Amino acid sequence: MIGIRKGIADIKSHLLEVYKATGKGFCLFIIILLFPIAWGMIVWYHTIVEGHLGSGMSDVVPWGVFISALAYFVGASAGATIVGLLIYAFGRTDYKPIGAMAILFGLICIFGATQFVMMDVGVPWRALKVPWILHNPTSMFFISSTSYFGFMIILTAELYFSIKVIGTKPTGFDKKMAKWLGILAVPYALFVVHTFTGTIFGVIKAREMWNTPLIPVHFVLSALACGFAGVALVTVITAKLEKREILTAATYSHMGLVLAGFITATLFLDFTDYIVLLYSQTAEGVETWHIISERYTGLFILNILGLVVADVILMTKRGRTENGLLIATTLTMLAIGAYRITLVSIGQIIPLYPQLGEVHYVPSREEVIMGVGMLALMVLLYSVLAKALPIRKSV
Amino acid sequence: MQQKMTRRQVVKKIAAITAAGAGAGVLLPSQSLAFTKLIERIIQTEFETKYEVLPPLPRVSFGMAIDLGLCIGCRRCSYACKRENSVPDSISPPYIMLMEVDPITLRRGSSILDERGNGLKNRLMYTKLRKDKEYMPLQCNHCEAPPCAKVCPTTATYKDKDGIVMIDYDKCIGCRYCMVACPYNARRFNWTEPKVAAEDINPLVPLRYHGVVEKCTFCVHRTRRGRTTRCVEACPNKARVFGNLNNPESKISKLIENEKSFRLKEGLNTKPQIWYLTQTKKKPMRWYKPLPPPKHIRGLS
Ligand code: SF4
Ligand code: SF4
Repeated sequence: MIGIRKGIADIKSHLLEVYKATGKGFCLFIIILLFPIAWGMIVWYHTIVEGHLGSGMSDVVPWGVFISALAYFVGASAGATIVGLLIYAFGRTDYKPIGAMAILFGLICIFGATQFVMMDVGVPWRALKVPWILHNPTSMFFISSTSYFGFMIILTAELYFSIKVIGTKPTGFDKKMAKWLGILAVPYALFVVHTFTGTIFGVIKAREMWNTPLIPVHFVLSALACGFAGVALVTVITAKLEKREILTAATYSHMGLVLAGFITATLFLDFTDYIVLLYSQTAEGVETWHIISERYTGLFILNILGLVVADVILMTKRGRTENGLLIATTLTMLAIGAYRITLVSIGQIIPLYPQLGEVHYVPSREEVIMGVGMLALMVLLYSVLAKALPIRKSV
Repeated sequence: MQQKMTRRQVVKKIAAITAAGAGAGVLLPSQSLAFTKLIERIIQTEFETKYEVLPPLPRVSFGMAIDLGLCIGCRRCSYACKRENSVPDSISPPYIMLMEVDPITLRRGSSILDERGNGLKNRLMYTKLRKDKEYMPLQCNHCEAPPCAKVCPTTATYKDKDGIVMIDYDKCIGCRYCMVACPYNARRFNWTEPKVAAEDINPLVPLRYHGVVEKCTFCVHRTRRGRTTRCVEACPNKARVFGNLNNPESKISKLIENEKSFRLKEGLNTKPQIWYLTQTKKKPMRWYKPLPPPKHIRGLS
C-alpha cells in the first residue's frame, strides 16, 4: 500500500516536472493537432451511424487506403524491434539513447494500424470481439489481428522495463527482462506480425498480383526499411527540435548503412517483381503493368525513385549525417507508403472478369479526413507520451 | 426473424436514460441526439435483428446448371432475385449480374473468363440484346471450397451441409476480406442503410443493416422448404435448373453428366456449384426485351 502511494506520488511529481518544462510551442502544436483529430472523429462517427457510402471503396474495390494504412503502420512498427536487436543482440550500446523511444514509436504504429482497421470495418464494436468471441483459425485476418494484441503486450512490457533500466535504480531482473523482451520481440515481429500481415494478401488466389509466396517476404523487408527509417526520422526530428545531440555521428552513419541494406533488399524484390511481370507477359502481368504505368505513374515513380535516391544518399558518407538521414528517411517512408497503396489498390483494380469495365478507386474526402485525423492522433499520442514518459533520461 | 422484444425494450430504456443523462449533464442536445443514434445502432446490430434460418436438409447438396444456349440475358432472374431477397437499390450490381460475352468464349467449351483480354468484348451495361452474342449470368457459385469462408475472421461466412454458402449477419463485422477473396465478385457490402418499401420486403428475408456483407443464398428460405430458387422460376426460357447433386436421378445431375459444361475459373480449385451448359440441343427459345441494367455500379465505369 505504501509502495503504491509512493509510486503515485512519484508519478505526480514527474508529471508536474514535465508540465513545468513544457513550452508554449508544444502546447500550441498539441492544440493544432486536436482540430484534425476532432474532424476525423466526427466523420468516423458519421460513418458508423450512416455507413461508408461516402468512401471511395466499392464492391469491386472493397479495400481502400485504410487497409493500405494497416499494412503500412504494421510495417513501420518493425522499427521498434530492430533497435532492440541492435542493442541487445549485436551489443550496439550506442543505440541505447533511442531504445525506449523506438519502442514507443513501434507501439504507437501498431496501435494506429489497428485503429485504421476499426475505421474500415462496418461494425466496429463487433470487431472488438474478434480474437475472443468470434474466431476462425483459418483466417489470416484473425491470425494477424490476434498477433497485434500480442505485439502490443510485448512492446508495452518492453517499454516498461526499458524505462526502469534507464531509471535510477534498475534491478538485475529489470535488465534481464528488457534484454530478453527486446530479443523476443524480433522473431515475434518478423515471423508472426509482419509475415502474417503479408500473408493476408499472399493467400488470396482471386487476386493475381497478391497471390505469391514472395509477398510476405517483400512485406517483411519493406517493413524493416520503413520501420527503421521511421525511428531514424523521429530521432533526427527530435534532435533538431530539442537542439541536442541524441546519437553520435558514428551511430548516425551506422544507422544509415543498416537502412541502406534494408532499402537495397526491398529494391531487389521490387525489381524482380517487375522483371518477372514484364518478361512473362501473362495477361494479368500486362494488365498490371498498364495500370501501374498509365494510372498509377506517380505512385510507381515515388516508390522506385524514392528508394533509389534514398539508397544513393545513404551509400555516400556525407549522406549518413543528420541532414542526409532526414531526407533519406523521409523519402523511404513515402516510397514504402506508395508501395503499400499500389499493392493494395492495384491488386483489386485488375477486374476479376475481363472487360468488366474500368475499375477505379480514389480515396474520398471522408477517407482522407478520417485518415489525417488518425495520423494526427498518432502524432499527438507519440508527442505527449514521449514527453510524459521518462524515456529520454539516459540521453 | 426473431425479435426479442423484452430485451430490446430494456436495452432501449437503458439507452434512452443514458442518452438523456449525457444530454442533460455533459453534452449539447444535438450531441446527445447523435449519441442516441449510436446507441440505437449498437442495439440494432447486437440485440434487435436475429436472422433465423432453417437447418440444412439431410443428404442434399444443392447445385445449379445454367444453359447458356437458352439464356438471352433479359435480366428477369436478376430482378426477381432482388425482389425475393429484399435487396435494396443501394446494392448495385444486384446479386445476379448479366454479362454479354463473345460467342467464341463459349464455343470453346471452357471458360474464357479464366483468360483475359484477347480482343474479346464483354459488357455488363448492355441495353439491347444481340443475337450474335451470348449472355452469361454471374452470381455466387456456392463453391465447394469457398475461399470466402476460409478467410472470414469471424466464421460469419460458412459452408453449410447442403452446400449453401451462408452469411450470419449477426456475426459479420464488415471487414470485407471475403469480398477480396471471392474470385467471382459475388459479394455485396451494405455501404449505407438498406431501404426497401415495407410492402416490398419479403417477410421470410428480413432486411440486413449497413456495415455487413450479403449475397445470393440459393434462396435458402425457399429451397430448405422444398421449393426451387426464385431465379429458376423467373427465367422465361427455363435456362436455369436447380436441384440436388447427391441424387443421380435429378435433372441437374443428368444435365451435368450428359451435356458439355464448364465452371468458372476452374483453375482456382474453388469447385463452383454452378455449371454452365454450352452445347445443348436447340430448344424453343423466345427473345424478350431486356430489363434495364443498373444505373450505376460503384467503382466501375
Ligand atoms: S462465389 Fe464467391 S462468395 Fe460465392 S461461395 Fe464462391 S467464393 Fe464465396
Ligand atoms: S465481411 Fe463479414 S462475412 Fe466477410 S469476411 Fe468479414 S466478417 Fe466475414
